[in-house]
Amino acid sequence: MIQLSYLDYSAVEGKSWLHRRSPAAKIIGMVIVLLGLITLRSLPVLGLLYGILLALFFMSRIPLKIFSLTLYPLTFVVLFVFISGFQIPFVLLIFLKVLCGSTGVVLLLATTLYPSIFRVLGKVLPSLFVTALFLTYRSIFILLNVFEETQHALYLRGGLQWKHPWRSLTNISNAFGHLIIQGIDMSEKMYESMVLRGFKNKIHYRGE
Amino acid sequence: MSHIHLPDGILPVWLWGSGYAVAILVGTVLLRLVKKEDLTRRLPLLGMMAAAMVLGAAVEIVPIAYHVNLTVLSGILLGPSLIFLATFIVNVILALFGHGGITVVGLNTLILSVEGILGYILFRLFWKVLRRLTPAIFLATFLSLLASTLSMIGVVSLGVSHYEELIHPEGKGIFEFHFSKEKEEQHPGVATESRVNLKRFIAIVLPLGFIGWILEGIITTLISRYIYKLRPDLLRLESEPS
Repeated sequence: MIQLSYLDYSAVEGKSWLHRRSPAAKIIGMVIVLLGLITLRSLPVLGLLYGILLALFFMSRIPLKIFSLTLYPLTFVVLFVFISGFQIPFVLLIFLKVLCGSTGVVLLLATTLYPSIFRVLGKVLPSLFVTALFLTYRSIFILLNVFEETQHALYLRGGLQWKHPWRSLTNISNAFGHLIIQGIDMSEKMYESMVLRGFKNKIHYRGE
Repeated sequence: MSHIHLPDGILPVWLWGSGYAVAILVGTVLLRLVKKEDLTRRLPLLGMMAAAMVLGAAVEIVPIAYHVNLTVLSGILLGPSLIFLATFIVNVILALFGHGGITVVGLNTLILSVEGILGYILFRLFWKVLRRLTPAIFLATFLSLLASTLSMIGVVSLGVSHYEELIHPEGKGIFEFHFSKEKEEQHPGVATESRVNLKRFIAIVLPLGFIGWILEGIITTLISRYIYKLRPDLLRLESEPS
């Protein structure tokens, strides 16, 4: 999740062909990939789709650090491999579908500014949902900053030690508690400033 | 563990489609129960709690493929109506990072909100009976996680016939090609061996889940105790613990 800031950096600073395409076109592209994932069952065709997405990824000159984000979901699907009794075609099918989905999403997020994505979503989804999504996305960055500071403080004060698992667990939990209380305090301040600026259940997005 | 990490295209369309339909229906009903002003006032809090849940999900305990959800804690802080919207948002963001496909968001919302809403109800119940914060939070978390994991297993088991179709394609799907021609030549005994093995899946998920539930129960309890020390008003308890 820390790589989220890299995604934003890539979306803002990137100048590739894909960065210049309209957000609506890229979202439609993602929907097409999604439809492909639902309907396709052929390994060669899914392999081809993954190849195209990979080519787009490298052509867009997205920082390589972000590539690991596309592989991360594989850790979760391993459990579902047991359902199949280790049938190689099924395992490959699941892995390819996961990789196509994650690469497509990372491509979209790393080449499109997030306010632009929310603006497009705001046209088709209820405003309450889009506002909540926007606030959550923004809060992730705020909490990440607090989290990093707390993490440093924990390391500097020897708060995490494998020799003392209970104490470490208590310290991690206190850190999360601190994160939540800080987050709630910030959310109250955020709400006050939003009301001052005339917030009425909907966030309006200006053009780029 | 307590929600579905399956990618798009694995669960049958009727299943994830119904998941979305039921989630939208339940969400609409629950959100109508909240006053508009209250909803507007608590939207930033909802955003923060959802963000905390996303961050919690990012910290994976690799050996048991488990990550904390913080759904029960969020349910206690947000209440049953807002936790539903929060889990929907969290699942959309998690789906973007590969914790389950985008089509599975509806089902995951239902499963995770079982955890959040049940956590809220059980915590209130145990608090009334036990009057002690630590056992009330731990038991509420443990039982809610157990319920949501069982719901997840139930949902996964509904798609068994579809997985079998995917494992043994018979040319019915769209754009479907045979990966190999071996299927027709398989020995009947081998075919039975290679059928979908849900029991094996359950046998792996439940013991690993058990470790995760205890761990999350401890973490949620410790976080709640910390919050209780500094901001007891957030837990909206009727009276002091003994």
